[in-house]
Amino acid sequence: MSTHTHAPAAVALTKATAEKKYPARMPRHGNAGAYRIIVIGLLAIAVLAPVGLIIYQSFLTAAFFSPRAQFGFDAYRYVFTDRTFYQALGTTTIFAFGMVAIAVPLGGLLAFLITRTDIKGRRLLEVLVLVPMFISSIVLAFGYTVSVGPTGFVSLFVRDLIGIVPWNIYSLPGMILIAGLSHVPHVYLYVSAAMRNLPSDLEEAARTTGASIWQVSRDVTLPMVLPALIFAAALNLLLGFETFGIPLVLGDPNGIMVLTTYIYKLTTLFGTPTYQLMAVVAVVLVLITLPLVWMQRRLLRNARKYAALGGKGSRVATLKLGGSGQLIALSIIGFWLFVSVVLPIGGITVRAFVDAWGEGVNLLDQLTLMNFSRMFEVPSLYNGIVNTIILSVVGGAVAVAIYLAVGLAGHRNWGLSNTVLDYIILLPRALPGLVVGLAFFWVFLFVPLLTPLRPTLVSLFVAYLVVGLSYGLRLLQGTLIQVAPELEESARTTGATIGRTWKDIVIPIVRPGLAGAWALIMIIFLREYATGVYLMGAGTEVIGSLMVSLLQTGAMNTIAALSLISIVLTGAGLALALRLGAKIHD
Amino acid sequence: MSRHVSGRSAAFAVTSAFLATLAGPVFAQEAPAGYPADYAALIEAAKQEGTVSIYTSTDAAQSQRLQDAFVAKYGIKIAYNDLGTNGAYNQVISEAAASQTTADVVWSSAMDLQMTLVQDGYAAEYASPEAGNLPDWADYKNMLYATTVEPIGVIYNTKALSEDQLPKTYADMIAFLKDNKAELQGKVATFDPEKSGSGFLHHSNDARERSDFWDLAKAMGENNAKIYSSSGGMKETVVSGENVIAINIIGSYALDWVKESPNLGVHFSTDYTPAFSRLALITKDAPHPNAAKLFVDFMLSAEGQSHLAEGGLPSVRGDVTAGLNIETLNERVGGGLKPIAVDEGVLEYMEQMKRVEFLNEWKAALGR
Repeated sequence: MSTHTHAPAAVALTKATAEKKYPARMPRHGNAGAYRIIVIGLLAIAVLAPVGLIIYQSFLTAAFFSPRAQFGFDAYRYVFTDRTFYQALGTTTIFAFGMVAIAVPLGGLLAFLITRTDIKGRRLLEVLVLVPMFISSIVLAFGYTVSVGPTGFVSLFVRDLIGIVPWNIYSLPGMILIAGLSHVPHVYLYVSAAMRNLPSDLEEAARTTGASIWQVSRDVTLPMVLPALIFAAALNLLLGFETFGIPLVLGDPNGIMVLTTYIYKLTTLFGTPTYQLMAVVAVVLVLITLPLVWMQRRLLRNARKYAALGGKGSRVATLKLGGSGQLIALSIIGFWLFVSVVLPIGGITVRAFVDAWGEGVNLLDQLTLMNFSRMFEVPSLYNGIVNTIILSVVGGAVAVAIYLAVGLAGHRNWGLSNTVLDYIILLPRALPGLVVGLAFFWVFLFVPLLTPLRPTLVSLFVAYLVVGLSYGLRLLQGTLIQVAPELEESARTTGATIGRTWKDIVIPIVRPGLAGAWALIMIIFLREYATGVYLMGAGTEVIGSLMVSLLQTGAMNTIAALSLISIVLTGAGLALALRLGAKIHD
Repeated sequence: MSRHVSGRSAAFAVTSAFLATLAGPVFAQEAPAGYPADYAALIEAAKQEGTVSIYTSTDAAQSQRLQDAFVAKYGIKIAYNDLGTNGAYNQVISEAAASQTTADVVWSSAMDLQMTLVQDGYAAEYASPEAGNLPDWADYKNMLYATTVEPIGVIYNTKALSEDQLPKTYADMIAFLKDNKAELQGKVATFDPEKSGSGFLHHSNDARERSDFWDLAKAMGENNAKIYSSSGGMKETVVSGENVIAINIIGSYALDWVKESPNLGVHFSTDYTPAFSRLALITKDAPHPNAAKLFVDFMLSAEGQSHLAEGGLPSVRGDVTAGLNIETLNERVGGGLKPIAVDEGVLEYMEQMKRVEFLNEWKAALGR
């Protein structure tokens, strides 16, 4: 959020007065109460239908549609006495916390360097640091195996140099490192938003009294953005619990299992899919998430208050890094970018243009365009590309409209309905995309009026809408909150209804933000993979889910080509986002 | 909204519709030689239905020739759903429960899941006129047909191992793994029976057929074998040198891979090479039952089998000359070809207790 949009001159308000002033209560009359309740209600149905189905399924002894299904706790009993479940739970916990331990300090550092110092090339860096966030983790993981796997081209180069390959990505530490580095942008987003709003006078004062730049960051900046850091940590913990792509590709061969891959295993373990067991694990994931959501809510509330205290206009003076400081800072960022962007994308790019790679394989001999020409020969592949573009471009635009409608319903809204909204938004975040997709598949199959929509892209769109809800809505809320309350208040005092206020004041002001949000949601839809696995069919293939389905037969040539196409499309989306002036952070 | 069908098939459909218009209704398509006289009526009914929906685990690229030939011949569109073995099974039972059956033909390599569908009453009976051209084991009660024979074998990295180093028989393989621990440590790959239905089928079939299967499993365990959920994934690691050898992979894929991949060799043991089949069934409530029958017949016909064999899926018929057929394949693997019969035997490990037992023993053998 850029600072100038914040309420001006809110200097030295106490917490209590700030609360009184800023959660500006609109008059009850004409506050679109009915609209808010209807929209939040509809959203609740869209989210709770699949979630409810999963919870219901977890208490049955067979698939819910099977005549043999009975109520019972058998599924819980099985999961909670299964040794591998506890192993997976333990591994997931280590994985998630390890990921946070890497992503949060690094993300905080990057945010500090980019927002608070005079680092060179800031405009470019602001974009570059976000890139890892937009690549799906399954693509990332493939890329890493080709570049830094045991026989990856970088590994072989290093081995020629020093005799050994000093890393192993097929290990828990390797996975944690990769996941941690690729989640840095998620931390950066939240922390940089908080840092932009900080007044710089405290830092300047510390600097003039002789403190070094690192002392300033540690003793002045850090305590002020602590809420944002903790918030980012909680979010990443959540993401860590539901990561699928990295453990699937890197953990599987050595039997390192996390909860999401444990769920995946349950589809085959007993020969026929055991939905009730998958549902139990999904419920466990939800239960883990709820306290995190609660914590996030508390922190978010505090963080917003915090930001309001410091709104001081856009003149944020930057700290001078000095020559060696610049060098060190840029090297850190450069190295991180090399590891988390160049290595995986390089790996995928190489793989997409060769047929084989590895030890004793001359890549130049293997160069081929076959992997791409297959795209034109096999209808399902080019359908997949076309559908993915339609779903992200058109679907993304519709999603923005829907998220805006929901955002307005929650805008300057307090009370029960808003609490409900906050939980609804984060529920789908907790569920693995695979399970959400399966639940929607059933919803579209068994709810009479919806059945005609199942073999169309609409069913995929609805699932994507729900999966992208937390990110998309945050994006919109972030934009909406930038509208200074005075503008709305003055409209209301002159007698405008809330609808009129939204139409004539709020929406025109946020319009540029909407275009940016559209581009970002487009990217989120582009990179989605697990959600469509059960929903897609002939004619409704999408790139990400095609990759998961191809993974079963192991058609790596095609997977690599699809990955590269998906990266190129994402790049185009990102370029578009920047053109449209997206505020990528919320 | 009607189900979207691929542009290419649509193009074919348009072309053939156009040709059909030219030819006029008088020249209705003739029944193939040897088919019952009323087959022309079936073709006509299938054309009326206009489309056939296939749920499968076969990548579209592998069956594209077959699909194109079918569309060109009959002008019937194909809605090809590559869902994976579990996806196909899941969709079929879910759709049936919701009375929304969309699948006409289920064509999957998961022999056990296909047999489960038959046993649970999801399949329709259909005596294909092509049944007589198939081996006896390939037709289960006119409900489930084997359409391919795909050997299970070994791939290896030719930089690390040479053909003559490789063990000739199943028993030799066990000894080979035990004798070469130094070179093979951490570099042996095999299927993960927990995550892959194919992997489970390959391993459990060996356990049924070979009393020394568990010795092989233990020998792999002693080498710290790594487990994968796909043949393609294993090929990638063997070509790159990350692994030296991969055991119990889909050999028909491998026979194609070695033509193009450097460093890659394929090998079968001469005394025992099991082979699985992709099985086809017609669903009980198929919305396009005639088109489904026509497609299954076409898939089993010499013409359809040739297209499959050319696409790398060896033919179950001895009279097909394109690609490999069941007899030439047997020669290629050294004479020990032993197709898994399409019968209730494949269900042995669908029983939960037995399955859990098998998997526990497997994990113990692998030291996990």
